Amino acid sequence: MRDVAVIGLGMHPWGKFKDKSVGDLCRVAVDQALADAGVAWREIEGVAAASSRFSGGRGWGLNGNDVVDDLGNTGVPVYNLSAGCAAGGNAFNVGWSMVASGIHDVMLVVGGEKMPKGFIQTSGVEEVTDPEYLRQVCVGMPGPAFWGAMCRRRMAKHGTTEEQLARIAVKAHANSVHNKWARFRKEFTLEQVLGSAMVSYPLRLFEICPVSDGAAAVVICSADIARANSRRPVWVAGSAVATARFDDGIPRGLAGPVPAHGEAYHSEAALAVEKAMAMAGVNPPEVDFMELQDNTVFYELSFPEEWGFCKPGEAEGLMEAGETTPTGSMPINPSGGFQSFGEATTAQGIWQVCELVTQLRGDGGGRQVPGAGVGLAQALGLGGNGSAVVMRSEL
Amino acid sequence: MPQATPVVEGLFTDTANGPRLTGSRCAGCDMPYLPVSALCHNPDCDAPDLQPAEFGPWGVIWSLARQDYPPPAPVKFDEPYQAYAMAVVDLDDGLRVLGRVATDDPESVDVGQRVELIIDTLAHDEDGKELSTWKFRVVEQGAGA
Ligand SMILES: [Zn+2]
Repeated sequence: MRDVAVIGLGMHPWGKFKDKSVGDLCRVAVDQALADAGVAWREIEGVAAASSRFSGGRGWGLNGNDVVDDLGNTGVPVYNLSAGCAAGGNAFNVGWSMVASGIHDVMLVVGGEKMPKGFIQTSGVEEVTDPEYLRQVCVGMPGPAFWGAMCRRRMAKHGTTEEQLARIAVKAHANSVHNKWARFRKEFTLEQVLGSAMVSYPLRLFEICPVSDGAAAVVICSADIARANSRRPVWVAGSAVATARFDDGIPRGLAGPVPAHGEAYHSEAALAVEKAMAMAGVNPPEVDFMELQDNTVFYELSFPEEWGFCKPGEAEGLMEAGETTPTGSMPINPSGGFQSFGEATTAQGIWQVCELVTQLRGDGGGRQVPGAGVGLAQALGLGGNGSAVVMRSEL
Repeated sequence: MPQATPVVEGLFTDTANGPRLTGSRCAGCDMPYLPVSALCHNPDCDAPDLQPAEFGPWGVIWSLARQDYPPPAPVKFDEPYQAYAMAVVDLDDGLRVLGRVATDDPESVDVGQRVELIIDTLAHDEDGKELSTWKFRVVEQGAGA
């Protein structure tokens, strides 16, 4: 396997853009990524793209083909990757795999999304054979209520308070002020978060992420090309995808077996993170910061524990001590996270890579993690899809 | 009084012993399935077939959630909207299952409470016909044990 570098990144800011198409958003991100890399469109040997069910793709998830049509039909191979909200992460993994294995030397990885209004229904089908559909029709547990249930379990077990949950949102938004790509670039006080509408107790409106429009792209290449042509390569130390294990007790559908080993956890995320970190040869203390999928503030507490960054029940204390801020000992989501961006579902995994590159180049400005040398990103999607990437500033 | 129609057929039934969820259980590894499954999905099991199985009525709330705003389709509810509680319940027979909690006071429901499976009104359809589903009712701590 060859070493792989990210040599260019581009993003369209996250937000709601009534007058722009998903193609418009992708074009902005791709043009920036190519310019940042100093690579011409004709030099791209392959495109790995996140497939969406919400926008573009002609109903078939052909979102990469849309990008190629827009940039010009060079005959370049396109790989459209579908993995729910983890599609961006999976597309990055496939792009990395192809460059690492020597099939292509220079690739574009891209994801763009225009989301419909309101909280999304995770499944796209309304059939009684679909467990997600059954769960909504027979019980009625939309995404925020699912997150609420996960959070209630934690409250019962570790005594997490509503104020602690709100403090995580305050921290996220304090970071977003320094990120020009974030949708909500505004500080919130504890009182403002606690004063926002209850969505699903204990989670409030400002503690869960809304849906957004956005697009992100990166140019990746082999080490030889990166060393010859790039002034600012950032290195992929580990990249992995995984799916959920049979014995994980997360109540995803209608029902499952009570897990024999005790607590429920997102095994697809944990497996992908474990694999990516093992490939990179790093342990939690060597990871300088992480970008994790915070659809709700709850995940800033649970994921670090599930991945061995701290012991069960410790996350609240670390957060309250400021250790999860960019200057703490365990920085989480210096970008501002999904809390500050909203979720442009399939673009998220690639946006996270853009933040890793930004931090590892030292371009984070007011949200910079001092001396960042190793970063971790993780995404999660319907179907039990998990993805993770570990990047380094130096090989 | 007209009979309520199950919101989805085949998931629950009212037996001589009371309400039960209707699914499958693997003869090889004992894994429970709801809805009915033709095959066992346990990667460590190659048992050839599953048997019909009934689940419930007793269990414990593993966790719960409250729906504080009117949810989007296809969730069903009657107007005027009232916040409801739902729980993730670990049934004594090994099934972790979701269900609404039948209560007038969603705030009184908590993790660790003992519950019993019931069949209850979910909502009414556009013709006013009553749709039923399974729910859980909080009972005394030792009930059914
Ligand atoms: Zn089995």
